[in-house]
Amino acid sequence: MPENEEYKEVGKSEFRSYCIALCLSKKAVLRLMFATDERETDNCFKIYAVFSEQGTDIFHIPFFKLREDDLTFRSITDGIPAAHWYEREIMDMFGLVPKYHPDPRRLVFHDSFPADSHPLRKDWEISEKDLKEWGEGMVRKVPYDFLEVEGEGVYEIPVGPVHAGIIEPGHFRISAVGETILYLETRMFYTHKGIEKHFEGMSFHEGVKLAERVSGTSTFSHSTAYCMAVERMAGITITEKAKAIRTFLLELERLYNHIGDIGFLCAGTGLTVGNATGSKIKERLLRLNDRLTKSRFLRGINTIGGVTKDIFLHADDISLTIDTVAKEYKGLMKLLLGSVSHIERLENAGILSKNRALKLGVTGIAAKASGIDDDIRSSHPHLIYNKIFEPATFTRQEGDVFARMMARAEETKCSMHMIKTIIEGQHEGDLQVKADDIPPNSHALGYTETPRGSVFYWVKSDGEGRPLRVKLRSPSFCNWPSVPFAIQGNIVPDLPLCNKSFNLSYSGCNM
Amino acid sequence: MWLKILKNLISRKEAIRFYKSKTQTLKTLTDENPGSQIDVERSADQAPSHEEQNTLFSGKEKMNRVFGKSLKIRQVDSGSCNACEWECTALTNPIYDIQRFGIDFVASPRHADVLLVTGPVSRQMELALKKTHLAMPRPKIVIACGDCAIDGGIFRGSYAVKDGVSNAIPVNFQIPGCPPSPTVITEKLLKLMERI
Ligand code: SF4
Repeated sequence: MPENEEYKEVGKSEFRSYCIALCLSKKAVLRLMFATDERETDNCFKIYAVFSEQGTDIFHIPFFKLREDDLTFRSITDGIPAAHWYEREIMDMFGLVPKYHPDPRRLVFHDSFPADSHPLRKDWEISEKDLKEWGEGMVRKVPYDFLEVEGEGVYEIPVGPVHAGIIEPGHFRISAVGETILYLETRMFYTHKGIEKHFEGMSFHEGVKLAERVSGTSTFSHSTAYCMAVERMAGITITEKAKAIRTFLLELERLYNHIGDIGFLCAGTGLTVGNATGSKIKERLLRLNDRLTKSRFLRGINTIGGVTKDIFLHADDISLTIDTVAKEYKGLMKLLLGSVSHIERLENAGILSKNRALKLGVTGIAAKASGIDDDIRSSHPHLIYNKIFEPATFTRQEGDVFARMMARAEETKCSMHMIKTIIEGQHEGDLQVKADDIPPNSHALGYTETPRGSVFYWVKSDGEGRPLRVKLRSPSFCNWPSVPFAIQGNIVPDLPLCNKSFNLSYSGCNM
Repeated sequence: MWLKILKNLISRKEAIRFYKSKTQTLKTLTDENPGSQIDVERSADQAPSHEEQNTLFSGKEKMNRVFGKSLKIRQVDSGSCNACEWECTALTNPIYDIQRFGIDFVASPRHADVLLVTGPVSRQMELALKKTHLAMPRPKIVIACGDCAIDGGIFRGSYAVKDGVSNAIPVNFQIPGCPPSPTVITEKLLKLMERI
């Protein structure tokens, strides 16, 4: 078992107080909460919560057992609001009910999914008829009540799931008075593809391909976290060279995302030239990806035990492209920061306060813009980050759209710097080490920082070394619940802008 | 005044007649080869012959008559991983600039000639996809874009997906790739318009 994971079994009734004590005494942050069905080996379900302690590299992982005679447990959401969605997800996927949860509605499944059906249970089955009815969506088996705002002059704008642009599907209900948004209710999980269950039907090695396709623009981060989890579980140490290549590609992924996002924000304010410039630079980087890896989204590189291609063979191409990008990017930032009409729209729009961000366990760019120094590259150093990553101060206090843009800009600079450093360094070793044996009945965490925030994978193997459970948590899953808070009090036309500033993935969140 | 009303009536009649004739052409257009799936990427022996394609769209003239040399696309994400969307977005950037070919993405299915669907069709998106398909005008050309959309791709066999767009709505064209690059998409769309 990896050194920085401390598992501790606690009683079902003490779990809540134990977690709250962790948060208070150690300033721990909830990273992940999930259940497993271990009825075959241990005759029980287990619920795990992963906390990371501030200032150390330790993950505290308390867990408790749930026997089949009583499948309810005391919700911890009232003490740790960040657990809100995790508990609802556990309820949907396993049928373990969090008692006293403030919002006990279903999260993942929509109205026409059968009530007592829980896909992640090992003995789960569903009839053809139920599947058909689920797709048709006509029978409302478990009605979902949207919160309604009442009062004089309040009206509701329903949007989605199919939106006007080329974006992913989600349903929003905006309650507004005049132009001002009073409340935004989001309905997600339209793109739920049953990925966690799908992992269980593959071998660990095949799973890399699936991990790459959880969220398109975080392809490499997801596959890195997944491979890392499996490697840690199997006790495999990858070579320095493989580590360097992974770190390099993670930063490259961050770079193209951030520059693309900064440009894309301009689409929300009507600054076409900014959008065009941003997408042009992004395209340049995507083409670099293509030349390096034969995939514009960095697919097919990660494998368990290392990487498949030595991208440092293209060092000249890389430095040339990065130099050009750096120059163009500088021009873009000058243009944006000089456009008063653009900046004015960004400032004071979509403010997410630090207090709320902390409580909701927000991660990544959104957290940094709200004054929280949340970066898993420095708090839990992995790959070669401990050598090259200088935890600069990315954090800003404002928490508005502008702060999120600037947090991205700071990270962009840092990524370019790191890319240069990695290219100039010497990295010894093979590309891959042998990784055929997956030990039975083991488990481990894998994590890294995607362009949006931290991503986590927790894997567990069964008696034959095949996946028993693969839990994944993308940054979008923690950040989506914070969007309605940021949007409250803004005007309706600013909604797309605020949304773009978070730039969350639906697919990664909906799994 | 009466004259005006009369004129109006006549023009309305004409409009109806015109509409009828137009829908007739559109009808023949899709009915000649209903639900045929043409994969332009396949090798010569697998590929549908040129005649086959021509029966669906007999050449440039018919295309141009119906769509007026332009193609308006409504893109729908039916549960993709989002990479396919970004490639579609890239089509509108200054480098690919797909508008110069008369191709553009529109906001409403009611304005669309083509429905470009990405993703394997997750069951929770099925209804929305069908409704979008219903809302668009005939001939309702559907393109399945990406391996997922063609047969479910990597997600094939999962309980929550329909294993491809053709299991939800009839598909006319396929664009393979995971994701297909903007160049490939452009090429396929132009082929569809019989420009190259
Ligand atoms: S075809 Fe590939 S890129 Fe496109 S949605 Fe499917 S997995 Fe993503």
